Amino acid sequence: MIVADRKPIEDIKEMLTPYKKILMVGCGTCVSVCMAGGEKEVGVLASELRMIDKMENKNWEITETTIQRQCEREYIEPLEEKFKEADIVLSMACGVGVQYMVEVFPEKIVLPALNTTFYGTTVSEGEWEERCAGCGECVLHLTLGVCPVARCSKGLYNGPCGGTDMGKCEVSKELDCAWYLIHNRMKDLGKIEMMGTFIKPRSWKQSLNGGPRKRVREDLKK
Amino acid sequence: MSNDFDPKIVAFCCKYCAYTAADLAGSMRLDYPPTVRIVQLLCSGRADVLHLLKAFENGADAVFVAG
Repeated sequence: MIVADRKPIEDIKEMLTPYKKILMVGCGTCVSVCMAGGEKEVGVLASELRMIDKMENKNWEITETTIQRQCEREYIEPLEEKFKEADIVLSMACGVGVQYMVEVFPEKIVLPALNTTFYGTTVSEGEWEERCAGCGECVLHLTLGVCPVARCSKGLYNGPCGGTDMGKCEVSKELDCAWYLIHNRMKDLGKIEMMGTFIKPRSWKQSLNGGPRKRVREDLKK
Repeated sequence: MSNDFDPKIVAFCCKYCAYTAADLAGSMRLDYPPTVRIVQLLCSGRADVLHLLKAFENGADAVFVAG
């Protein structure tokens, strides 16, 4: 899932200050699961904003709604009437949702209430970690399911580096060394010889270095 | 803050323990401030952050959950 964090309330307050009728739109998919921008979080932020409104006389009129996904037109289009009535839209989706709502309703300004952070998983209650960098050329078959691009601080294809320290990364003692994890998996699965296999340098054009990416399936296009 | 500040307190109470205790206080003619407003829940596990915020939004000075 895409993981995000809510922006500090002061930043959100500043963004909204020039406006009166605010439409808050939550997203019921990734950011609901990571508890950053789902229906509950929309309710909490709306409540905070209403209290700020009362204390600082902002004259805000806040409307709350949450749709299934902000990255798909079919879920956004039914919001047309609500968009028309609003001065400003505050999206609690990832950056994709914010941008796609702008594309569907270009006459409106949509503000981001979240900072989108990474593709990750829930490792325990209230804790999320990065697992994928969306680099465009998966090597998990060569590293037995531990991604060196997303989980090695240096993104090394042939690690570990000299900064590995008792299984931890030199960048932070909180971080596991990805190559330590890869090595241990290879050892545990009886495939330690894979450590000697050189992973060739690749083109990073499939990653962001080649510009924004696009996928087309001609057989599905209308 | 002046000395006559009389805080409005909202209490979210479990029907089976805390609310029963408040009920018993009534039966025993024990006093507690009228500014404590009790909301009965079937279980204090039902209490949600949105309930607490709603109480604050509507002017509560303090909110507590008992169960």
